[in-house]
Amino acid sequence: MQTNTTQITEISIVEDEVHMTTIELCHTIDIDQEDLVAWVQEGILNPIGTSPEDWRFSGDTLSRAKKALRLSRDLEINTPGVAMVLDLLDEISELRKRLG
Amino acid sequence: MKFKDYYEVLGVAKTASDDEIKVAYRKLARKYHPDVSKELEAEERFKEVGEAYAVLKDPEKRAAYDQVGSQAKHGQDFTPPPNWDSGFEFSGNGFNSNAGDQSAFFEELFGRQARGRQQSTMNAKGQDHHAKVMIDLVDAYLGAKRTITLQMPTHDAQGRVFIQDRKLDVTIPKGIHAGQHLRLTGQGSPGVGTGPSGDLYLEITFKPTPQFRIDGRDVYMDLPISPWEAALGEKVDVLTPSGSVDLKIPPGSNSGRKLRLKGRGIPGKEPGDLYVVIVIVTPAAETEAEKEAYFSMAKSFNFNPRKDIKG
Repeated sequence: MQTNTTQITEISIVEDEVHMTTIELCHTIDIDQEDLVAWVQEGILNPIGTSPEDWRFSGDTLSRAKKALRLSRDLEINTPGVAMVLDLLDEISELRKRLG
Repeated sequence: MKFKDYYEVLGVAKTASDDEIKVAYRKLARKYHPDVSKELEAEERFKEVGEAYAVLKDPEKRAAYDQVGSQAKHGQDFTPPPNWDSGFEFSGNGFNSNAGDQSAFFEELFGRQARGRQQSTMNAKGQDHHAKVMIDLVDAYLGAKRTITLQMPTHDAQGRVFIQDRKLDVTIPKGIHAGQHLRLTGQGSPGVGTGPSGDLYLEITFKPTPQFRIDGRDVYMDLPISPWEAALGEKVDVLTPSGSVDLKIPPGSNSGRKLRLKGRGIPGKEPGDLYVVIVIVTPAAETEAEKEAYFSMAKSFNFNPRKDIKG
């Protein structure tokens, strides 16, 4: 077992400070670009810009994209299904908030 | 190491068909999927179920597993016999899931086949890594310097996989909250060729505390008060995550009333709010004098707490 301690200098809060390009987001969660394009076409993710080359994803896309990936891989849900599950989860959390 | 009975995990018989295994897995996966489930320890259960399915859905792995598992029972101490898998040929490159997700039992049996994704291009950015870290709520209020230890599967010069402890000195920025991510530039896998290193993403979660409940940037805490404080109003000293606050309890407060302290939730450009939830605690009447106090209350009030309940 080897151990070393690294001082971290470059650190940012993704949700507040980071915007990602299509290539960066694909790299970060390790998916193919065509899958990401399908998610955008289904309305799962909403980047700014008109084509995959100039899309910009806001930082809070990362959580949603990770969730979409887990749902599609773990439960083998297709893209429209993932979109629907995410919408329903949003609705549930909204309703829970109103109850609380 | 404990033996894991993957059939028991999925709740199927040892003779179950591929279809039965798939149906059992799907049901449990939906039940325990951490994004959907509200079950306790959903994530742990989900990993266990996924691991069992990864083995039992694959005829080669299932056969190998049946061979070693024929004598063992769930939870028993277990060491696989040497060369237990000789004679079995595994196709494909193992598993898609992260190596860190599997149990020690699984690693021992099938771990050697797990391989990272091969980079095909000559120069490419290294893989990005993801990990979860737990911080204290107070770290989000004040910011903090923390040393985080991550276990990362790494390859040595011979290509063997081993677990390396990495310690990172990280400054937790004030205002971060659960579900957000920190990006540590260049702390992922080394790049290929002249490509830059990947990045490390840390997903933030809060250590559970009995005093505080957290919803986004808003924080909730219970405040126990006496019946007379509730009825007459009182100034109470409340220990909030951002320090002591003199809180005025309005007269006539009841249990469940939420007092909002604007901007005293998790800080940020738009700081959250702190909600103090009133909980009235009734003292037990033990001495004669205490009982007398309750009797005299009963006499003084014309009070029916159940007037809205129809019998």
